[in-house]
Amino acid sequence: MITTEHLGKSFPIGGLFNRHALHAVRDVSITVGRGETLGLVGESGSGKSTVGRLMLGLLPATTGRVLFEGQDLAAARPAQMRTLRRRLQLVFQDPYASLDPRRTIGAQIADALVIHKLVSPSFRPARVAALLDQVGLAPDHAARYPHQFSGGQRQRIGIARALASGPDFLVADEPVSALDVSVQAQVLALLAGLRAELGLAMLFISHDLPVVRHLADRVAVMYLGRIMEEGPVKAVFATPRHPYTQALLSAAPSLHPERRRARTLLQGDPPSPANPPSGCVFRTRCPIAAPACASTIPALAGLTHRVACIRV
Amino acid sequence: MTRLPWPALAATALIAVLAILAPWLGLPNPVTMDVPHRLAGPSAAHWLGQDEFGRDVLTRLIWGARVSLSVAVSAAALACLIGTALGITGGYLRGIAEILTLRSIDVLLCFPPLLLALLVVTLLGPGATTLIPVLALVYLPGFTRVAYAGVLTARSQDYVEAMRVLGAGSGRIMLRTILPNIGGPVLVQFSLAMAAAVVLESGLSFLGLGVVPPAPSWGLMIGAARATMAQAPLLLLWPCLALTLTVLVMNALCDGLRDAVDPHPTYRPAARRLLDAIAPGLLPTPKAVLDLAHLTVEIDTPAGPIHPVRDVSLQVFPGETLAIVGESGSGKSVTSLAITGLLPGAAHVTEGAAFLDGTDLLRLPEESLRKLRGDKIAMVFQDPGSSLNPVHRIGAQIAEAIRAHRPLSDKAARAEAIALLRRVGLPDPDSRARAYPHELSGGQRQRVMIAIAIANHPSLLIADEPTTALDVTIQAQILELLSDLKRERGLALLFITHALPVVAEIADRVAVMYAGEIVETGPTAEVFLAPHHPYTAALLRSAPDEEGPPPVGIPGIVPPPTALPPGCTFAPRCPRAIPECTAAPPALRSAGAGRLTRCIRWNA
Ligand SMILES: Nc1ncnc2c1ncn2[C@@H]1O[C@H](COP(=O)(O)OP(=O)(O)OP(=O)(O)O)[C@@H](O)[C@H]1O
Ligand code: SF4
Ligand code: SF4
Ligand SMILES: [Mg+2]
Repeated sequence: MITTEHLGKSFPIGGLFNRHALHAVRDVSITVGRGETLGLVGESGSGKSTVGRLMLGLLPATTGRVLFEGQDLAAARPAQMRTLRRRLQLVFQDPYASLDPRRTIGAQIADALVIHKLVSPSFRPARVAALLDQVGLAPDHAARYPHQFSGGQRQRIGIARALASGPDFLVADEPVSALDVSVQAQVLALLAGLRAELGLAMLFISHDLPVVRHLADRVAVMYLGRIMEEGPVKAVFATPRHPYTQALLSAAPSLHPERRRARTLLQGDPPSPANPPSGCVFRTRCPIAAPACASTIPALAGLTHRVACIRV
Repeated sequence: MTRLPWPALAATALIAVLAILAPWLGLPNPVTMDVPHRLAGPSAAHWLGQDEFGRDVLTRLIWGARVSLSVAVSAAALACLIGTALGITGGYLRGIAEILTLRSIDVLLCFPPLLLALLVVTLLGPGATTLIPVLALVYLPGFTRVAYAGVLTARSQDYVEAMRVLGAGSGRIMLRTILPNIGGPVLVQFSLAMAAAVVLESGLSFLGLGVVPPAPSWGLMIGAARATMAQAPLLLLWPCLALTLTVLVMNALCDGLRDAVDPHPTYRPAARRLLDAIAPGLLPTPKAVLDLAHLTVEIDTPAGPIHPVRDVSLQVFPGETLAIVGESGSGKSVTSLAITGLLPGAAHVTEGAAFLDGTDLLRLPEESLRKLRGDKIAMVFQDPGSSLNPVHRIGAQIAEAIRAHRPLSDKAARAEAIALLRRVGLPDPDSRARAYPHELSGGQRQRVMIAIAIANHPSLLIADEPTTALDVTIQAQILELLSDLKRERGLALLFITHALPVVAEIADRVAVMYAGEIVETGPTAEVFLAPHHPYTAALLRSAPDEEGPPPVGIPGIVPPPTALPPGCTFAPRCPRAIPECTAAPPALRSAGAGRLTRCIRWNA
């Protein structure tokens, strides 16, 4: 349904005189099918959000392209883009910053209906009420302002707003990281239910591995702007093949430390994306790096379970 | 919505009504002269006296308000409209629009306002109608800059991005989303511009460049009164008074309006009460480094006092890690702030005692407590960036922390700082000691914070969400470091977190907090294996675990401290609740060796 081909994005950084490019995303080729959820994991600054925004056409790609049902987002004319906007939606991480504090939540949920002229004005309140009901809120909440809701409720409102236009593809950028754990599970269950009910394709961005394990069908692991490993959730979690995935999985704290995999503690910090290492970007922290890793950029190879490492 | 600023509103309305109704108030004609009675003092017919041509001063003052205010309001409104539009367009569209609007405005800003006004008036000739565009031009840049700055902040907000995601056009976003959110600052700017325009109009009229005589205007009145100041000083007083009052009232009104249109409730803490002198709590248990007994904290809010922490008792022993785990708002951080005496002004301890090696911290004078902090009690917080001084090298900051508590030479302190950096695992400590905080990554900054914390061999280390802001691989490094230090130095570690897996990794014992109370404590492994409180059990079920079943949420939300349910605070969400649960708040009861629970049905 939605595919990226060798997607890349660089941002200009630096002053007037030492201007250079920061490659936030490089050579990302992923696919999300109808009704499927792809989990995108990685550490902060690895480029997860940038991939999400590229796939929604909110940022123009520097290289490569995004195809939605075969149509190149960058080549879409403004009128086509408006239709696409309706079908591609985003759920934000911060439930506090993503709602306009000065408008009622009913008005904000109705925005999509107004912009895309989806239902006639007299039916709007009924549609808003139905959406609120769908995300587990009372219809009479429509007249309230965002500050009258808790974090979890706000995230439900954000989801209702994203669903209002009847999207086919949803990017959820860390939708539960800002929530308490007891509320997290409620919102995750809501997302899983809606996905099944509406047949949504979803890119689920998260740094929380167990959450991805439970929600996603497939998972892609990013490091410094590149995909290191990609495959079915079960396979990747049970037999991670890339050294970074192995380290990442072993570092995640577990409720059952005695059952956890033996820990490979990574040394040091991720390098700056403005100045990534040559060859394999992971080599400065890789426990099994070899001299050849500095000169070759490993390609993401394999059929359903793909890995980018020359030593696998 | 907060209350409207009624007094300022009424005063403005009064001035406006007077000015608007001037022709119908039955006042004498403001330009009719009465030369024989020139400069006459106040009388029954002329309350404020007569001016140098014998005209009635009160009449001229009111008619003057009509001219002065209409010029000022129209000018400010015009400037506000055009300036805000330019600022929003430039700020939202960026690129070429930004250059066109902002740069041309910058050019305008290069002229001193008075000079600009003089220039235009000289070109176009004086008169009230020229004054309006002139003053508008003078105040235009202010609005553009304020709007532009507001838009730059607003456009990076998620809710603006959300409108783009929905496919809203730029015009719609600027009008419906950005404009209301920069309304506050623009309103303030409006009050400033209006007040300044009144003054500038008077100034220009005074100079003979504004309103043309004999039409009345405050500026003209001041100008004329100046000539006769020796004979009739009061004539100068009236227009000046009118000017000052009007400006003050306008400022008050705009301030009030800005607060009133803000949908957020404003919170103003009441003055701090004196720490009460309640008798100390229980005697300290031997051996415990920290012994907290029956701590209750009160915060004054506009809606009355709330108690975000109630009856919290806990002990931390040397070489032991006690984790306080709870969801946001459960009172974890308030507890740690109370122990360290860092509670915000509106909060105070109303009950309880906190013994650190036998001294009650809660009854220590601020001065002695300050000496203990960073010495016997050390702290590490969530955001390592904001706790370090950005302008000092990290080595110097650690050395300073050492010398604040121990009489060491500068050189010795620096050497110790480097040894500490090596101990916390900062690579290449000799040269990194010379780095500034911004040159380090988040994980490295947290290592520096830990180095500062252990610099003076504390007996208690309080770590409040120390790894929450860090990535998993870095979090693993920091947790490893903390437990090594604890073992090696016999530290008592009070670890505050909301993440159950982190508790499982690091804590020997755990205290689970809910809505301000400890609901269960015990050895971590036992509590996680067989929780004795329904909340602990529900929390464990809601934590995603890679191997376990999918997480299950807890229905409902944590009750806010302003609306605690009666009896057991967990009852509204508890699957095991029975009517007895809401009858009285359950006390902490023993539930096996070393375990306590606040549930009446733990073994039912
Ligand atoms: N507009 C921008 N200008 C310059 N650099 C940017 C911009 N947006 C993102 N970056 C950089 O691109 C890199 C990837 O950023 P991105 O936000 O996609 O990461 P992320 O994986 O979502 O991180 P997080 O987990 O912190 O949300 C980072 O180094 C970031 O600083
Ligand atoms: S390519 Fe080399 S450095 Fe990269 S992950 Fe594989 S072994 Fe490690
Ligand atoms: S006391 Fe009652 S309501 Fe409270 S936790 Fe126990 S069973 Fe539930
Ligand atoms: Mg992100």
